[in-house]
Amino acid sequence: MKRSNFLIGAVSGLAVVGSTGSLFAEALAQAPLPGLPGAADRVLVIVNFQGGNDGLNTIVPFANPAYYRYRPTLGVAAGDVVRLNDQIGFNPALTPLKALYDAGKVAIVQGVGYPDPVLSHFRGTEIWQTAAPEKYLSTGWLGRYLDEANLPADNLFNAVALSDVLPEVLVSEKVDVPAIQQLQGYGLASDRNVANRAAFHEFVQDNRVPFASPYLAHVAEIEDHAQRGAQELPNLVAGYKTDATYPATPFGRSLALAAQIVGSKLGTRVLYVTLGSFDTHTTQKATQDRLLADFANGMTAFYADLAAHGNDGRVLTMTFSEFGRRVGENASRGTDHGTAAPAFLIGGGVKGGLYGSHPSLDDLDNGNLKYNTDFRSIYATVIERWLGRAPSGIIAGSFPTIGALA
Amino acid sequence: MNAPIAATPSPAQYRPAGSLDLAAALAPYSGPWNERLAGHLLRRAGFGGSPADVARLAGGSMNAAVDTLVRFDAAALPADPELADERYSRQDLMLLRQQQVGANSDQITMLKKQANQLRAKNRMTAQRWWLDRMIATPAPLQEKLTLFWHGHFTSSWEKGTTTQALVDQNQLFRRNALGNVRDLTLAVSKDVAMLRYLDNTQNVKAHPNENYARELMELFTLGIGNYSENDVRESARAFTGWSIDRQSGTAVFLPQRHDDGSKTFLGQTGNFDGPAIVSIIFQQPACARWFATKLLSFFVYDDPEPGLVDAVARELRAKDFELAPVMSTLLRSNLFYSERAYRALVKSPAEFVVGAYQLFSIPQAKPIALQAMRRMGQVLFYPPNVKGWDGGAAWLNSQTLLTRENFASSLVNQMTGDSWLGGAMSSMQPLQVAKSVTQTILFGDVAPQSIGQLVSYLGGTGVSALGSLSGENADERVRGAAYLTMAMPAYQLS
Repeated sequence: MKRSNFLIGAVSGLAVVGSTGSLFAEALAQAPLPGLPGAADRVLVIVNFQGGNDGLNTIVPFANPAYYRYRPTLGVAAGDVVRLNDQIGFNPALTPLKALYDAGKVAIVQGVGYPDPVLSHFRGTEIWQTAAPEKYLSTGWLGRYLDEANLPADNLFNAVALSDVLPEVLVSEKVDVPAIQQLQGYGLASDRNVANRAAFHEFVQDNRVPFASPYLAHVAEIEDHAQRGAQELPNLVAGYKTDATYPATPFGRSLALAAQIVGSKLGTRVLYVTLGSFDTHTTQKATQDRLLADFANGMTAFYADLAAHGNDGRVLTMTFSEFGRRVGENASRGTDHGTAAPAFLIGGGVKGGLYGSHPSLDDLDNGNLKYNTDFRSIYATVIERWLGRAPSGIIAGSFPTIGALA
Repeated sequence: MNAPIAATPSPAQYRPAGSLDLAAALAPYSGPWNERLAGHLLRRAGFGGSPADVARLAGGSMNAAVDTLVRFDAAALPADPELADERYSRQDLMLLRQQQVGANSDQITMLKKQANQLRAKNRMTAQRWWLDRMIATPAPLQEKLTLFWHGHFTSSWEKGTTTQALVDQNQLFRRNALGNVRDLTLAVSKDVAMLRYLDNTQNVKAHPNENYARELMELFTLGIGNYSENDVRESARAFTGWSIDRQSGTAVFLPQRHDDGSKTFLGQTGNFDGPAIVSIIFQQPACARWFATKLLSFFVYDDPEPGLVDAVARELRAKDFELAPVMSTLLRSNLFYSERAYRALVKSPAEFVVGAYQLFSIPQAKPIALQAMRRMGQVLFYPPNVKGWDGGAAWLNSQTLLTRENFASSLVNQMTGDSWLGGAMSSMQPLQVAKSVTQTILFGDVAPQSIGQLVSYLGGTGVSALGSLSGENADERVRGAAYLTMAMPAYQLS
């Protein structure tokens, strides 16, 4: 991004305060109002099931007696399962999702994992976010997509993380991605700033400083981006109205903001949302049921909201979690860290149904499920069929795509 | 067992513009000495210090200033933080090992919950302990090097490493901060947190685990391209048997697990053990260049020229890897005080936060500082992976910079009246105050328009509702000006 681009950013909602004769403020006021970029752009929403979701109790193999042997207290009774076929079905907490599933909008990829799985939250998350089990990469797989997608350099919101810390998946070499937990409170916190927005612009515009740091231009660029973004976003999305009822949870609020950003047509291509924590070492049922219900209710509201604004067809949601959980439950009515688990693809472009096969309960690896679909196959599919790029430039290695996207 | 993991190059680095005068680079600097350069020295060889610290160093000579930083009593360590024992009692362990489902379920659940709470408390205690030490240390360079070594010889809470083990490792870094690099490498190889973090506890004769041997060469001492896969396998055999004693939790050598056969490593053959491997590594020219690159990138500027790396590597070898004389040369060099090195690095979150506390002479951090550091991208004792923190441009994104600014905004309120605040308020002239504040915080490294903005803020002319600078609003205005100065790009740079 070149510094000259500062002056031609998306500035429609900017309220210029103060009257300090700022050249920058004048330039902003004179910039042409942008059209509505991105009205037809495809959007990818990535949902991180933080903490490691138990796949076996998400998509339940109710017809397999081994399942109930491994899960004497945690097993979901066959009669309670929301059946998808005569072998497997949803955990009843996912019941609200069944309507979208029946409408062909939900694909479930079963047994997703990778070779030599890591059972650490930290490294496991890093692997899923960088798509690199054998290496330490400094960028995320979607960060690399942003780097090569040639998105408008002057757009402040090519991607947005709805989280308090920028996730590694959106770390890119060239594109600064804002991390916004919620609209309220995002940006500069102090009352002092209200009077000083112009000052911040001056600070990053005037580079006549008595030193020549190789980082100065970069720091100024990111500061400008941060301050302008925080200032503009509330105005840019203010016109969006919705009747959808989201769960009154952090996840529900994030999805509501995601729909608002999509609907405000800011040209955003990637959104990141978190749900969790799923780290159910003890008394799993209450926690997992609550989170799965949050997911199902949230997705239902999200797609109803998107549909009401004509956006449902251009928004694909995919889930991931750093690992599944151990097949055998532990002594605390919980499960410990495990391996393969299902992933959901929902919404635009999806050919609904089941993909891959349910991992075997008879052929375990140290008490853990063996994967049958590499997670990078899902990524390759999304990159190629949804984002329209060649996977080879974004993830190392070659992985077959799956049929879950049209 | 996890697959071996290869590191890839760090993200884009930023070498200063202009050309290096290699012949004069490491020669002693003899130019003017002032607060601007004393501030530079204190930022690099410490965390910035207070305005009084800067004035004190600026008042003497450059050599005297460096002397005060490189001469410290390495054995004078802070007392360990008070941590609860995280390990389960023998009784609890027996209970946990009962695998039959349902038996004592509630008891086990409670046990695990308590253990988690205890661990979380220990972690925060240790982080605050180190942060407070960085802020109030009498030996800033020792603390800065402790941070350097933590990012170099990484270990973290991953894999069940106890907080006590990480505190022990931290004290090891502190004790050896300016010591012999080869000795430190050997000590790290036997360090409990490292044995756990890089799996050497699982490295036994029958099933060698290569994790430590690989990272030792790839990330700690040589870099990719300077050893072969066979060297990894052979050196892993040499480290077999170095483990942790279950009872005491201390490092132990278990001869029955050690492979005492002959090994061929980097062209030499013999019955090598761990110390022999470390010794052979330090004979490699690539080793001195590796540490020279890391030191230059941390203390001087990113992406140092190969000729400069060679020059510092020669110094390291000439001093047999004793760091004190090498750092002493570096901190007195033309290179270090050159305009190319000045503000050429991005402050890490630790440097930003600790520096801000020192700037306002606040001796202890509040817990909110840890939260802010997390959002700035740095959690002490928890580097992202064995490569450590990438640093540089990786510290900079919208969210980390907003967090820095919001942290500064909250901190200026904690500044007490008897700090330099009072002096800055003594004049009620906005221009005088703006110059005083930016001189104190940025040593005048401010653009003319930025001064103009501060003047209009201080004078109340920026927004019509505010009155002009007066005794009534001076306190708030000067704090505001300090905050605005800390929000300038220059303040993000070291």
